[in-house]
Amino acid sequence: MPQYGMVIDLKRCYGCYACVMACKVKNHTPPEVFWARLLKGERGKFPNTMRQALPVLCMHCEEPSCLEVCPTGATQKLDNGIVIVDKDKCMGCKACIMACPYGARYSVEKWVSYFPEGLPLSDYEKFAKNYWEEKSGCGVATKCDFCLDLIEKDKLPACVEACPANARTFGDLDDLDSEASTLIRKCRGEVLNPELGNKPKVYYLAPR
Amino acid sequence: MVDATTTKEDVWIPTCCGQCYCMCGVKVRRQDGIVTQIEGNPDAPTGRGSICVKGLASPHLLYDPYRVNYPLKRTNPEKGLGVDPKWERISWDEALDTITEKLKECQERDPRGVFFQATTTQASEIRFGVIGFMKAFGTPNYWVSGGGLHCGNGAHFMNGIMHVAWSIIPDFAHCNYALNFGCSKGHGAGHVAVMNATQVADARFRGFKNVVFDPFMSAQASKGHEWVPIRVGTDGALALGLVNSLINEHGIYDAEYLMYKTNAPYLIRPSDGRYMRDKETNLPQVWDLVDNKPKIHNDPSVTRVEYEDEAHEVALTGTYNVDGVDCQPSFELLKEHVKKYTPEYVEKITWVPAATISRIAKEFGEAAEIGSTVTIQTENGPKKIPRRPVATHFFRGAQGHTNSGWTCLSIDMVNHIVGAADTYGSALGLGGTVQDGYKKTGKPYQIPYPCPDGLLKAKAWVYDHIPYPLREPKPPTRLDLHDMFPTSIYNAFTICSPKWFDILERFKIPYRPDVMINFGSNSVMTMGNAEAVTENFLKKFRFIFSFQLYCTEFEEAVADIVLPDACYLERFTPAVSFPSTFSHPQGEDDWGWTIRQPVVKPLFERRDFNEVMLDISKRCGILGKYYKGLNDVVPIRYGGDLEEKNKLVEDGSVEHSWEDICDRLVRDRFGDEHNLEYFKKRGLFTWPKRKEDVYWKWFNPSRVPVYFEYFIDSGEKMSKLWDEYQGNDFFKFDWSRFKALADWYPCPTHTEEDPEYDMHTFYWRAVAHCNSLTQQNPYLDECAQEDPHVYAVQMHQDTAAAKGINDGDYVWLENPQGHKVKGWVSLCEGIEPKHLAIAAVAGHWGKYMPIAKGKGVFFNDLVEMDLEHTDPLTFNQDICCRVKIYKAD
Repeated sequence: MPQYGMVIDLKRCYGCYACVMACKVKNHTPPEVFWARLLKGERGKFPNTMRQALPVLCMHCEEPSCLEVCPTGATQKLDNGIVIVDKDKCMGCKACIMACPYGARYSVEKWVSYFPEGLPLSDYEKFAKNYWEEKSGCGVATKCDFCLDLIEKDKLPACVEACPANARTFGDLDDLDSEASTLIRKCRGEVLNPELGNKPKVYYLAPR
Repeated sequence: MVDATTTKEDVWIPTCCGQCYCMCGVKVRRQDGIVTQIEGNPDAPTGRGSICVKGLASPHLLYDPYRVNYPLKRTNPEKGLGVDPKWERISWDEALDTITEKLKECQERDPRGVFFQATTTQASEIRFGVIGFMKAFGTPNYWVSGGGLHCGNGAHFMNGIMHVAWSIIPDFAHCNYALNFGCSKGHGAGHVAVMNATQVADARFRGFKNVVFDPFMSAQASKGHEWVPIRVGTDGALALGLVNSLINEHGIYDAEYLMYKTNAPYLIRPSDGRYMRDKETNLPQVWDLVDNKPKIHNDPSVTRVEYEDEAHEVALTGTYNVDGVDCQPSFELLKEHVKKYTPEYVEKITWVPAATISRIAKEFGEAAEIGSTVTIQTENGPKKIPRRPVATHFFRGAQGHTNSGWTCLSIDMVNHIVGAADTYGSALGLGGTVQDGYKKTGKPYQIPYPCPDGLLKAKAWVYDHIPYPLREPKPPTRLDLHDMFPTSIYNAFTICSPKWFDILERFKIPYRPDVMINFGSNSVMTMGNAEAVTENFLKKFRFIFSFQLYCTEFEEAVADIVLPDACYLERFTPAVSFPSTFSHPQGEDDWGWTIRQPVVKPLFERRDFNEVMLDISKRCGILGKYYKGLNDVVPIRYGGDLEEKNKLVEDGSVEHSWEDICDRLVRDRFGDEHNLEYFKKRGLFTWPKRKEDVYWKWFNPSRVPVYFEYFIDSGEKMSKLWDEYQGNDFFKFDWSRFKALADWYPCPTHTEEDPEYDMHTFYWRAVAHCNSLTQQNPYLDECAQEDPHVYAVQMHQDTAAAKGINDGDYVWLENPQGHKVKGWVSLCEGIEPKHLAIAAVAGHWGKYMPIAKGKGVFFNDLVEMDLEHTDPLTFNQDICCRVKIYKAD
């Protein structure tokens, strides 16, 4: 069984939000829900300044904090390493949201339109609402599942497919010859906050 | 309701994105009749499977409940900013009846009273239907609002002269060292955005170095190996500093290139700066160093078309006596001319340290590896060509100033000094300059060729007049006096002047603005100061009707009728990626002719602009002429004549549907088997690009100018004509800009003396937005809000601290003319401390674009619409200004 993971090359990434939007449109996430997100930061004093974009998502940790705290077994780690939420088992306690050190989980009480209230929903928003309620659900924890449905069809997660800079590589981290494993090894991939011990499966390659 | 998990229909339809002018091939997912998702089309050379954030967000463009869905009529006769038009829904019949009546009245008065205004976002429609209709109706008046005046009058024109291309860009696949002057190429916004992002990411991976000159830390600066903060509007001075440093400090230049591929060896007569011409042939002369005598520029003994051709060396420096006249090669003049741009002098202008200028010139010159070659496979076998893995490139940031034309030429001059133009690894014409066409039909064909003086001349071009040679200045017939000014496509300072009608009177224009047709532009926001645009220009039309997706600030202020246009997902467009401007990546990938097709039928009562223009032409009795207009547009736009059988029938005896017109165009370009049905299935047709078309410099017999001799003539003719009308009563022109050698000129922001106005401000392009429309897309708006700077005024923390301004404070930015805009401040370190940076065309206030409303800062309100803030050479507007900043209540 493969152990899926992702490598994000920060040297390639230029912060264009294509990953964020590809995720939005594939998963039809409502406002303020970003299973794929882009953080932007700045360091240093003028003129020795650095700006960097950092794409984040669920890290699909080997030892997920969210899993430990879930009282109902809704959060599960699949054999392929992907961490998912079974919305039917989730009671909406949000313990996992508090526990996740990477801020990767979102919950909405009620589906909300992107447009001001009082308007009839557009066909697309009717579709998006229905999709969200059926696949992810309101009042429960939601998160990135590496586009499990696409992977099952031998396709790539939407954010990987969309990236114009080819900054994202998805693959089996147990397979030492996979492109992802090779990149991690050769380019010294690192995870975010390794000291937390969650053993994330999303690796980053240095921006410089 | 559609069941998201068990949809019956689930198809992906190939078409072309229309959220900006990059024209990426896409596949659009339709589930039970609803567009739910968009992806890149891997078969399309533009995109190759990826699209950007804007394209991905398209479902909301199609379904936005604020789209205009029915024709609307203004019932409030009052017009102006903030006026409630009191819209009333009307039928299409009523709308078209009124429009026809107004157009017919105009036809009777003078058809030139029609002014077509359009948006660059829908560039394909502009190049075909819009121009075709103008020809049919008989009006020369149009503009593409902010397109051109903000971002192209300078760049596109100058790149046209030097590369026969709409823009220039490094050959990222092989370039090792590039100098980026204020442009986001390869970093999201603008030109072939997706493919260039891929190419530049690959290049970074292999160690490509990018030095970025920008007043703030843009996306490209943050990814570059060096960010060099520069004072806004001074890029031209820096470029000339680099030219000087290369030639006179480091002694680095590509003599071979300059001798055979430029007019650097042309001998110049000292008395008037003109070429020395051969008495018999009247052709410019060069000095043959082997035979020690003058030769005409195209004498075979001094000409090298291909790199391995052999020829005598010609003089680049020195003084030579020809027919008793002591003359010098133009390069000698250039070499002397740029000596004043010492690193120290340039530092004073640009605030870039002298040592940095000198170092970067050296690095660039060395990285050019002058003398190195590479062998490429051409149709005629392997050929050796120069390899020059360096490039300078630029766009809106560098060129949006009162020194636009010369700045563009100066930046590109750096390339030509080291021979880094249209060869392997160098600065290439973006979009593909040279097209040999699909083998079977030979179309679309665009092989540039030399004029008698040897200079590069386009075969096909984006608009009717090619960038070189310049048109003859003529007594004006257009509402913006354009005929008099061969170095521009349109201008704002005439038509937005409060004295516009007096100007028309003086210049003997016998008609007045009558009917404006607007196609998708929101010119109230995209040009400059909204009040000036509205009061001085837009309100002067008797009647305005507008094809639009939303009721923007433009419709609110001045439109009499709004027609609900189809968006790109609801229409056929037969030619999207040609003429190739930003619609092909540079380099060796295939050509691709992409079309747009409706993924859904137009919703509600929306109708496609193209179909409606046929309808309007018919009602105005000019349908046959419209067909002729479209026929006439084809050869220059799409490279090659129409076959007789594919021409639209011009006598009006046949009525062509829009689909039939699309079908004829694609069949004509690619043969009957590649008809519209073929394109509906695949979305595009591709064919291989020849390597000698990618790296065409050493396969083409043309030269490019480093000495712009013909500007002198043109300027003299223009100023003479101007004086005939005593034009100086209105505008005091600086005709001295029409000269042969490049210089840098200060903008008003550099000469402002009032110390109260102590900050330079400018705008930049955010990746989530294109022009003004995307601001209403809630997905894109949300992305823009995720960015710490897009909707803010970026300000350096130390500057803010000195002024008592805190992060998040609301402030006013006020220019010396008293125009002011409001915004909130985001403090940072990534900006030169004397600058304030603002993003995009933001700060909407219209009530029919509620998502866009109140977000960001309306920078353009600070842009003055007068000659003082216009480049006299190209009429590009000045997109920087001096402001004072103070807290808002």
